[in-house]
Amino acid sequence: MPKPEFLYVTYIETTPQKLWQALTSSEFSKRYWFNTELKTDWKIGSPFALVMNGTTTDVGEVLEFDPPRRLSYTFHHVLSEAARKERPTKVVFTLAPHGKLVKLTLTHEGFEAGSKLLEGISKGWPAILASLKSLLETGNALTIPPVALDIEGFE
Amino acid sequence: MSKPEFVYVIYIASTPEKVFAALTDAKMSEQYWAGNRVVSDWKIGAAFALKLKREETDVTGKVLEYDPPRRLAYSFHPQHGGMDAEPPSRVTFEIEQQKDQVRLTIVHDGFEPGSKAFEGISRGWPFVLSSLKSYLEAGKVLRAYWYEDECAAQGAA
Repeated sequence: MPKPEFLYVTYIETTPQKLWQALTSSEFSKRYWFNTELKTDWKIGSPFALVMNGTTTDVGEVLEFDPPRRLSYTFHHVLSEAARKERPTKVVFTLAPHGKLVKLTLTHEGFEAGSKLLEGISKGWPAILASLKSLLETGNALTIPPVALDIEGFE
Repeated sequence: MSKPEFVYVIYIASTPEKVFAALTDAKMSEQYWAGNRVVSDWKIGAAFALKLKREETDVTGKVLEYDPPRRLAYSFHPQHGGMDAEPPSRVTFEIEQQKDQVRLTIVHDGFEPGSKAFEGISRGWPFVLSSLKSYLEAGKVLRAYWYEDECAAQGAA
């Protein structure tokens, strides 16, 4: 049985530096990531948290910080009791320049069999990354209603 | 071993009508799909062809579903790179309005285990759909020489 894993690739007309800034600064993330702030000092081993509208949704630890190429952190959803019982997962962003574009590859792995979190992030990441691409290319993030994602507990 | 299936979801600040048009119009596809043209009269059962510019060959198929502006499906059979020996696969597009944007879901399935076409389309679709989004939102077309090279090497979509 293959390991449950989420993989998403998108191409963005921007620079690796701008994309890196968007992935690591709350100023940007609040605009494309459902008003989510990134709370960390980005030192390897430091705590990491996603805070949405003032509520901590996910916590973890910085694993890799290699600007503007590779960023990774552990990811543990804490909003629901069921999710808190699952083991932490791992998110990795890889940025590769290609001519005038940047290829952004996201992997999210380490899920338990039947993970509720895998179901949720599989719906969430495409919306977040589409909004990120729009913000960098057009200056406007998307206004996707959270309820449209059909994620349990996210409305 | 489970059968390979490619699923991709992308959100585009556009309307279902514009997204559907872009998926079915040769002049538009030529813009965002690296010069490749989608050719069909879009009647159910009619021939579908993706005229690959660089390959000077086609992906052939048949129109399976045509329900503007919600659903589109065609069979997909690359005629090059040895992939003509594989059975045709199937591409399905689903379009849903979500407030000010459209959620476009692509499912490409019907591959045999170890399919070469599957490898190609798995690399190709993220680029084509990223370019489609840029085209519809910003009037920009993503250009990447390496995409065409990669397509030539992989026989991608």
